[in-house]
Amino acid sequence: MLDVLTEPFSAGIMQRALLEILILGAVGGALGCWIVLSELSYGAESLAHGMFPGLVVAALAGVPLLLGGAVGILVAALAVALAGRIPGIGRDNSVAVVVTTLFGLGALLALSPDVPPGIQGLLFGDILGTTEGDLIAGAALAAGLLVALRLMHWRLLAVGFDRSSARAVGASPLVADAVLLTLLAVAVLVAVQGLGNLLVVAVLVAPAAAARLLCRRLLPMMVAAVAIAVAAGIAGLYLSYYAKVAAGASVAGLMVAAYLLARLGALVASARA
Amino acid sequence: MSDASPPIAPPGAGAALVTAADLAVGYSAAPVLTGVSFALHAGERIGVLGPNGGGKTTLFRALLDELRPLAGELRLAVRAGTVPQTERSRLDFPVSALDVALMGTIAGRPWWRRPGRAERAAAHAALRRVGLDALAERSFGELSGGQRQRVLVARALVQDARIVLLDEPFTGLDNVSAQRLEQLLDELAAEGRGVLIATHDVDQARAWDQVLCLNRRQVAFGPPAQTLTLDVLAATYGRSIVTLPQDGGERLAILPPHHHDHDH
Amino acid sequence: MFEAFDYPFMQRALVELLVLSIAAGTLGTWIVLRGLAFYSHGVAAAAFPGLVLADGLGFSAALGAFGVALLFALTVGRLAAREEGGHDALTALVLVAALAIGVVLASDVFESGANVETLLFGSLLAIGADDIRLAALVSALALLATFVLGQRWLAAGFDPGAARSLGIRSPVADLVLLALIALAAVATLSAVGALLATALLVVPAATTRLLTRRLLPWHLATVALAAAEGTAGLWLSFETNAPPGATIAVIAGGGFALVALGRAAAAGLTHLRARKVVAA
Repeated sequence: MLDVLTEPFSAGIMQRALLEILILGAVGGALGCWIVLSELSYGAESLAHGMFPGLVVAALAGVPLLLGGAVGILVAALAVALAGRIPGIGRDNSVAVVVTTLFGLGALLALSPDVPPGIQGLLFGDILGTTEGDLIAGAALAAGLLVALRLMHWRLLAVGFDRSSARAVGASPLVADAVLLTLLAVAVLVAVQGLGNLLVVAVLVAPAAAARLLCRRLLPMMVAAVAIAVAAGIAGLYLSYYAKVAAGASVAGLMVAAYLLARLGALVASARA
Repeated sequence: MSDASPPIAPPGAGAALVTAADLAVGYSAAPVLTGVSFALHAGERIGVLGPNGGGKTTLFRALLDELRPLAGELRLAVRAGTVPQTERSRLDFPVSALDVALMGTIAGRPWWRRPGRAERAAAHAALRRVGLDALAERSFGELSGGQRQRVLVARALVQDARIVLLDEPFTGLDNVSAQRLEQLLDELAAEGRGVLIATHDVDQARAWDQVLCLNRRQVAFGPPAQTLTLDVLAATYGRSIVTLPQDGGERLAILPPHHHDHDH
Repeated sequence: MFEAFDYPFMQRALVELLVLSIAAGTLGTWIVLRGLAFYSHGVAAAAFPGLVLADGLGFSAALGAFGVALLFALTVGRLAAREEGGHDALTALVLVAALAIGVVLASDVFESGANVETLLFGSLLAIGADDIRLAALVSALALLATFVLGQRWLAAGFDPGAARSLGIRSPVADLVLLALIALAAVATLSAVGALLATALLVVPAATTRLLTRRLLPWHLATVALAAAEGTAGLWLSFETNAPPGATIAVIAGGGFALVALGRAAAAGLTHLRARKVVAA
């Protein structure tokens, strides 16, 4: 029995993938709680899709993915902000236009040349291709993100609880928004290598959404979200190893499954009450 | 921190906590509230009266520095604490009553420090003061309307706000809760804080020190006995005034606003 | 210059785009008006695993796609159309799950790895008669439904509360709209793929929205613009050997940017002229 559990992780590839799961689980679970509570799921989805051309250019130019991703996210965020200021059209619509165009641009760049840069890896992640460099960079970013969350915790709480009275208690809504958006970008960067820009939203939203159904206070919710993310991630690695299916998709799929389970559980619990 | 704070100045005396001189405020270039001139001193309770949309909330937002004055002057001696209507806060947010009270400590410490033992003690003390320490761990959204109101008052107490703004705190409260809140307001004033209460209840305002009547402009400001005349009330509320018989005489009352947010 | 269109596959692609632009133009305006952009993106992406399943198990692609899309419409879509907040998370998660399931089915279960890209980004140059027939059907249905249900859709979008109390809002009308959008998304799959459906369904409608606010001109302008952008994209992709679906998406986006900038410039000019008048 123990063999079944340990065998997959005897190889370096899987060991690194496991560490990557820990990193992106911590980031996704912790920040994910704020994303879900602040209703930023659409924003997260948009940034993740919109950064695609950055990833493609990085892959084509042979530059580290993190760099391309960072530039891609910056461009996407700016474009979304600009488009949101266009009057006469709903914010959601202008965001959809920006995201579609950027995504199309990325596809254009990725599918045109004779040597495609492994587009599927960019879209669906390449968690089994995690290098030590990826782990170091990811761990550093994750540490920074967690420290920032810890420092900003009460200000984010005050703004999220009641935006209009936040200033009175000393928490600026603008600063909170800026911090959340920046951390969102960081989290996407951390997770995009392993999950790809199409699936990264899974780790940012599913574990936190599940934890929200189970916990009534924020700190337990964050801990639960991280635990669910890591557990689902590890289960995804097992699934990928034994069933021989794509790793990133397994991880993402199981995280969503965890949410659906929690949803079902909540439904059953409320039906009984 | 002890349960009740010592007064910083005898009521009514000394420099004003808030002064407004011909203040105009609005959300864009055009003002929605003009000609506001009043002063709030330590230990005073000012009732802010007026119809919905007449400028009460706008004034409060200016006092909280969310809106810049378009004209005139507005000066506050210290940062104001606010007790907003509880519908403004998210009832589905994963915070307990204690968490909300602890929010009052944010401004008072450096941004890298988390609430320590002293802050937690202060939060518990404030909750005790409003009679809710037993429910400190309860989820905010599970509390009744009156209890939520009191938790928000506790938050202002933790902040040790010398100026306290309350936005229609009596809406939807039952008699017991309302009396409790009244007593609390008296205590706040007795401690030397300046209290501004937006309310629809003219009778209630009569018990306080000053009234400020707003209807897109300042209609009147002064002690209630002299200020709340039929003319003033007519100018403030338009046609929704009724006269009620009282002990052989008459008294004026305002018809309650059309929306009923009753929650307990 | 236009020898591109001498080729039969290009002609078929062009016909497909022109027919699709009717559906895109008609339904696109409703999508933009009713705030269903994220939903249409989601339902198109949700069709992806349906396509893979159909391809792998050997039944009609359109059926597979539409089946899953309909499932999406009935579950997530109904939440989306209710105009309450908080459903974005669910839409995002279902979208992710659909993509994850789709790629697993494609790469590992049915091992049709190469097809993933065509399913996601379209295969406009491999359009067949079936695809055109489906596009024609959807366009016809879209026109019919707009004629019959347009008032209800408009009322519900304008003031949902009032519409409900006036008895105008019926859940059936909304469901029809959601189902039609799902059908349209499936119809665009062969042209631009599961991930770029919004390039035809949302972007042209959003662009023309910047120019007109009245419904009928808006409908007509969107159909015209979608047709124009599709044609331009198709031709350009032929000349540059680029993927056609992505080219159309970029051109559509460029069109939106141009119009938005133009409008801002025009507003700036008017402002400047006004100030000059005042100063003089």
